Amino acid sequence: MSPAGCSHVNGYKVDNWKQNLRVIYQCFVWSGTAETRRRKAKSCVCHMCGAHLNRLHSCLYCVFFGCFTKKHIHEHAKNKRHNLAIDLLYGGIYCFVCQDYIYDKDMEQIAKEEQRKAWKLQGIALSLSAVSACVCFVFTGIGEKYTTWEPTKRELELLRHNPKRRKITTNCTIGLRGLINLGNTCFMNCIVQALTHTPLLRDFFLSDRHKCEMQSNSCLVCEMSQLFQEFYSGHRSPHIPFRLLHLVWTHARHLAGYEQQDAHEFLIAALDVLHRHCKGDTINDNGKKANNPNHCNCIIDQIFTGGLQSDVTCQVCHGVSTTIDPFWDISLDLPGSSTPFWPLSPGGDGSTVNGESHLSGSTTLTDCLRRFTRPEHLGSSAKIKCGGCHSYQESTKQLTMKKLPIVACFHLKRFEHSAKLRRKITTYVSFPLELDMTPFMASSKESRMNGQYQQSVDVLNNDNKYSLFAVVNHQGTLESGHYTSFIRQHKDQWFKCDDAIITKASIKDVLDSEGYLLFYHKQFLEYE
Amino acid sequence: MNKDSQMRAAINQKLIEMGERERLKELLRTKLVECGWKDQMKAHCKDVIREKGLEHVTVEDLVTEVTPKGRALVPDSVKKELLQRIRAFLAQHATL
Repeated sequence: MSPAGCSHVNGYKVDNWKQNLRVIYQCFVWSGTAETRRRKAKSCVCHMCGAHLNRLHSCLYCVFFGCFTKKHIHEHAKNKRHNLAIDLLYGGIYCFVCQDYIYDKDMEQIAKEEQRKAWKLQGIALSLSAVSACVCFVFTGIGEKYTTWEPTKRELELLRHNPKRRKITTNCTIGLRGLINLGNTCFMNCIVQALTHTPLLRDFFLSDRHKCEMQSNSCLVCEMSQLFQEFYSGHRSPHIPFRLLHLVWTHARHLAGYEQQDAHEFLIAALDVLHRHCKGDTINDNGKKANNPNHCNCIIDQIFTGGLQSDVTCQVCHGVSTTIDPFWDISLDLPGSSTPFWPLSPGGDGSTVNGESHLSGSTTLTDCLRRFTRPEHLGSSAKIKCGGCHSYQESTKQLTMKKLPIVACFHLKRFEHSAKLRRKITTYVSFPLELDMTPFMASSKESRMNGQYQQSVDVLNNDNKYSLFAVVNHQGTLESGHYTSFIRQHKDQWFKCDDAIITKASIKDVLDSEGYLLFYHKQFLEYE
Repeated sequence: MNKDSQMRAAINQKLIEMGERERLKELLRTKLVECGWKDQMKAHCKDVIREKGLEHVTVEDLVTEVTPKGRALVPDSVKKELLQRIRAFLAQHATL
């Protein structure tokens, strides 16, 4: 089986052979359009026995289809001396003289191109499309299918010159590193731990995707890139993030100083600065740089930005006014705060879906989400001007998720800073390892309103399923406290990060912890 | 061709025409990768190649050796899911 193909193809490579081969691929192997599919459906049967299974092959020299398993194509090859056939399932070329599949470079090239073309036309997403999608004949091309990486000459050269390789085994601790506390900087350390263990962010930085456009040395994205290099360098000593701290103070003045700050505020500020400094990496489809700060496509937006839909329904004319706002996190009120949490009976539909433990009436994350997405009556003192009634009317407001981010961050509002008091709410909220956001989606609300109840979890719709990968906890009081975090390494190993000290943790430790910031990652990602 | 194979051919034609066959193939591919079947088969193929010798093994050898094991190793849940999909498709296009 030589990669140069066999010599018997030379008899085929005459006249317009390339075009003929392309036609065969387009019509019978990878049929992209509805027309070619119809033709394929009708004509792809064995000319001898009529079967469509049995590894059908097409003769390359004439119009003949034959079974491979039943040797019908072999008979044809012998009788007509047509030595080449193509497998209609996979596109491989079989040579009857060599008695094996051969790999000719030119033919492989044509095969690859035709396959790509057909995929683009068919628009097969790697997620599962609903059965109803097969009704339409024209598919919107979703784009490239995943193909394995083949290194270029330059890449091979680089790999040869740099022979040192890092191997990831199941219990290697690469990516784990402690962070020295520089004076109440545990709030920063936790967020850094969570970010360095966000898989997509890690992949972005480790593949060097940031191209810096800033002239000075104050690009936070470059510093993040450095940080990732430090974390994945294999060094086990704790890292001292003084440069990061300095940059944060420079770009987010309100966080400067040695007082304890809020980890959530730091997260938002960090994401904001990273988003602003990512300008150089945002290239839209036309190859032009995106200028619009609201619709940027930087890695931060791709990973963290979701869309929150707010529907205001007028109580008189029932007209709905909808706005969609971007969000990086969801802040959830907790029971025990001064704003009343409506009483819930344990075991509501959301909680059973998400498998949370209800320790005799304890609140779950799903309860908080249900409260967040409940219709809220705005009251007579907060009348909204209704476009339909042209006057001020009472209305209800409801929040739902329009677009889910790849990483969803939930912020449990434990710190109360109302006019009356400042305190920390320590109510235990149980949160699940796996979370299904389907009940809180805008689309679910719409189908509920249209009377379609989806009680069973749709097996085919994996798009809203999330897995927990980081938890940030706060111990202590409002005046003096300490932040620690749990992060997930590999698939099921959890570690507790307490500044410079990293220890192994059990899933129970994680789920029993109080929870302040919860980071969830989408389970299934689509290729774009 | 008897009634059974006629029906099979008709269903197959419909599946191809509507592009559903390609979608089902993709679904199957994803499921088999997810459950580790692809890795198992890859390992088995490597064993066969090692046995027969890289220079002498043909695709036919691999197919003969690997097909029975491959068929047996497909998890029932995957079979069930695909059957469900095909049933749903046929239910929708009941004119068959």
